[in-house]
Amino acid sequence: MKIPLAYNLRNLAVRKATTLMTALGIALTVAVLLTTMAMVEGLNSLLRSSGNPLHVLVMRKGSSDELSSNLNRQVFQDLKFKSGIARGKGGDPLASLEMVIVVNLPSVDNPDGSNVTFRGVSPAGLEMRDHIRLASGRWFQPGRAELVVGKYIASRFPDARLGKKIRLARADWEVVGVMDAANSAANSEVFADVNQLSADNNRTEVLSSALIRAADEAAAPALIRDLEADRRLNVTALTEKEYYELQMRSGDLFRYLGLFVSLIMAVGSAFAAMNTMYAAVARRTREIGALRVLGFSRASILTSFLIESLLLASLGGLLGVLLVLPLNGFSTGISTITFSEVAFHFRVTPPVMAAGILFALVMGTMGGLLPAGNAARKQILTALRDI
Amino acid sequence: MSETVEAMSETVEAMSETVIDTRHLTREYSRDEYKVVALKDACLEVQKGEFLALMGPSGSGKSTLLYLIAAMERPTAGELRVLGQDLNRLSDGEIAHWRNAHIGFVFQSFNLIPVLTALENVELPLKLTHLKKRERHEHAETALKLVGLSDRLKHFPRQLSGGQEQRVAIARALVTDPDLILVDEPTGNLDAKSANEVLEILAKLNKDYSKTILLVTHDPHAARFATKVRYLDKGELLPEGQKPAD
Amino acid sequence: MGRYFPLVWKNASRNRRRSLLTISSLALSLCLLGLMMAIYHALYLSETDPAQALRLFTRNRVSITLPMPAFYLQRILAVGGVKQAMEFQWFGGAYKDARDPKNFFARFGIDPNKIFTLYAEMRMPEDQKKAFQSERTACIVGRRLAEKHNFRLGDRITLQGNIYPMALELVVRGIYDNELDPESLYFHWEYVRQAMPGRDQLSAISILADSPDSVPRIIHAVDEQFRNATVQTRTETERAFGLSFLHMMGNVKLILFSICAAVTFTIMLVSANTMAMSVRERVREIGILKTLGFRPSAILGIILSEAMLIALMGGIASYFLARALCGVIRSGPAFSSELMTLTIRPQVALVMQLAAVMIAFVSSFVPAWSAARINILEALRRTD
Ligand SMILES: Nc1ncnc2c1ncn2[C@@H]1O[C@H](COP(=O)(O)OP(=O)(O)OP(=O)(O)O)[C@@H](O)[C@H]1O
Ligand SMILES: [Mg+2]
Repeated sequence: MKIPLAYNLRNLAVRKATTLMTALGIALTVAVLLTTMAMVEGLNSLLRSSGNPLHVLVMRKGSSDELSSNLNRQVFQDLKFKSGIARGKGGDPLASLEMVIVVNLPSVDNPDGSNVTFRGVSPAGLEMRDHIRLASGRWFQPGRAELVVGKYIASRFPDARLGKKIRLARADWEVVGVMDAANSAANSEVFADVNQLSADNNRTEVLSSALIRAADEAAAPALIRDLEADRRLNVTALTEKEYYELQMRSGDLFRYLGLFVSLIMAVGSAFAAMNTMYAAVARRTREIGALRVLGFSRASILTSFLIESLLLASLGGLLGVLLVLPLNGFSTGISTITFSEVAFHFRVTPPVMAAGILFALVMGTMGGLLPAGNAARKQILTALRDI
Repeated sequence: MSETVEAMSETVEAMSETVIDTRHLTREYSRDEYKVVALKDACLEVQKGEFLALMGPSGSGKSTLLYLIAAMERPTAGELRVLGQDLNRLSDGEIAHWRNAHIGFVFQSFNLIPVLTALENVELPLKLTHLKKRERHEHAETALKLVGLSDRLKHFPRQLSGGQEQRVAIARALVTDPDLILVDEPTGNLDAKSANEVLEILAKLNKDYSKTILLVTHDPHAARFATKVRYLDKGELLPEGQKPAD
Repeated sequence: MGRYFPLVWKNASRNRRRSLLTISSLALSLCLLGLMMAIYHALYLSETDPAQALRLFTRNRVSITLPMPAFYLQRILAVGGVKQAMEFQWFGGAYKDARDPKNFFARFGIDPNKIFTLYAEMRMPEDQKKAFQSERTACIVGRRLAEKHNFRLGDRITLQGNIYPMALELVVRGIYDNELDPESLYFHWEYVRQAMPGRDQLSAISILADSPDSVPRIIHAVDEQFRNATVQTRTETERAFGLSFLHMMGNVKLILFSICAAVTFTIMLVSANTMAMSVRERVREIGILKTLGFRPSAILGIILSEAMLIALMGGIASYFLARALCGVIRSGPAFSSELMTLTIRPQVALVMQLAAVMIAFVSSFVPAWSAARINILEALRRTD
């Protein structure tokens, strides 16, 4: 880099309005991409904290989700005594027979109603989910129609606030507590006593799934193999982590939409940057001639204009990052493949920001290369004669 | 560019060294069907330490000759050795390097970089050398002092008068300590007083620092500062001492 | 203004590269804008297909995933204004390797004797209909699904059930055409019912009204009928039902609006920037025009027209781009039946052009205004 950076910086500053407008165009494009990425990051972080690698989820063979799975009490009694299952405080195996249904409740975003996952859990199930704390109220009592809602459910569904009553199949259920599940999917679920919930739905024998905890990291794959191989049980098993990854596939739709829109916008913004850079080259044609006479080579002219374009783009990238920064921590819901809502935070992490700047630099390169080449190709004398 | 500095000091001793040597130099321009012969069979020899003025009517080929010598343009025919270098043999990149090391060029219209200060403009060609930042700074300041502008280092071109701008341009041309300074109508845009200042600087560079200077001008007064005058007419370089008939 | 047109045209075409780049940049942004408007229009504004307008869906009030007693179907058939009603059962299950998204297509259990009345827009040769109706294990598939999986008449398809723990062994007896629903499989619900006698429950019932006027009455009457039953229902038009599925994916309107806003703002920047650049380069000429006696209003008009001309060209190019993109979306995965027939309707095309011209007008106003008011001497002195 022979031609000083100050030359580029000052030229950008001289044309403040043009520089700013071009940079803002790039910034908006970066913002669209980063919004998408922040969402994906948020989903990933939700997945990381939702799936405990020691937890194994057992469903009926062929089921892709807990909602469509049917698990008989008898099957649960059998699988509970497999080897490799951790023991709880009371010495019993850590295995929880659970029942999952979804209920349509009006949410703040969607008055027509969004689906909420209701989960019937056993005391072992609560013991296994040791990341969950009670935020307010109390836990439900066995044998009573009581609910404890995740903290996002409490804030996003007016009908599910503390003290409200929700009518399920038969009974009216009272919300008695709000739980904080450390950024995991349980924040978007409603917990109840499994026996009570299954009785309410008139399916006391056929429940949904079982969650079991492996004794240690090594035991989990063995346990899964063991369960899958047992023809008598006829179940499918996978780690909780894998399960949540499969559930949030609908995030792909937004990822593709976001990528698609930002790619098209990127090409448009690169054209705009190209325009700006061509104008810069045209305006400074004589200067280019003079620089060449001073002994600057074509290569250093090319580099200089390319750097100017990259500077312009990084300004755009920075502005884009600033635009999406307020999104950090903003929470919204996304639908799982069973159409129930899971809330997550947008996360604008340093890698996301770096990706935004990089994206801007790619636009800067696309926009700057041709004009810089044009500048470098100019004949000295023609350039000097330019008026 | 320490080699150049050494090369310079050697040449100081050998006073009668040929700096420019052109043989039947020809440059034609063809546009559509027209063919313009801008320079025809020019044979010119310039010795080290000469201050040569090139004169002649408009369109006679003065600038063309200058551009060929500065290798800003390539001849259509003929040979051209400048500072012992056969320019026809150099590639584009080598020429850029050569020009930076050996040639200083001054334009009629200054061609300073508007966004850089006087000091930065003068320092610019030194960016291509291996000099350290501090040394570059010192060199640039010395050059500006030489042209009498040490109080204007931080000024941008638009804050200077035409004469001052041209003096900055001269400082920029001589800051690399070139062997040859080429000047194309430096006073064309200046009033008489500023023109005189500029020409006196050139004369001083020639006299005190024995710089070889080639000055293209219309102005007979300007030519008087030179040690020798040659005339061009309709693309032909007239023999020494001969003026175009008008 | 007309007599200045040659001047406007010359100005717009003098820096061809810039005009082309601007037009391309605007065209890309505008085409996104057009696409979002087309999607919005398709989802919320377009008139329903007449056949679709007569259809309703009834489901469990609590959630589509919970069932209703099967006898509800008979009760609904008795409601006034109901011409026909049929079970519409989501089977789920897995076809081959369920992990491959290609194998994730919709399969519904229906009544083969009613479906062609309810879904009159489904087209299929008469002999295939007969074959489908007369065989309990027969199924029919949409044309696009058949092409994707290379299904032919007589092919066997096995679906491994999950909600219904059984394997469905089906034979393809027909391939139907329906633009709204090109990728589904339909089979006799009776087949599942006989295999699993204990579970006489339905999760959705499709209803055909005898006239558009009956639709609101049916919605009310059906839901009222089961108000005090253990399982209450929710009845809505087919379109509302479809949209509610899409809404479960997220706040669609908000997403469409935010993309439109970002894109619109980008277009304004591009357009304003271009005009500012070309005005700046021409300040001297504007000075000359003024010395020739052009009034500020004429100069304002000339510059604004140039911006609008360029924007309009971008708008026209964007129309073709957007149409091409609609084709891409139509051939993509079937998220909603509305998107299966996505096109750029004339209204949307018109709004796109209007938006282009308006945005150009607004964004070039500042440079045009300052050019119109510039002092002659200052303009002539300007060198860059
Ligand atoms: N790039 C070019 N294309 C065509 N003809 C050219 C070109 N450059 C120079 N010429 C022609 O070559 C001839 C010599 O031009 P040159 O610039 O050398 O004249 P000059 O002596 O410097 O004149 P002036 O005193 O007016 O600067 C002129 O007739 C000119 O028209
Ligand atoms: Mg000349």
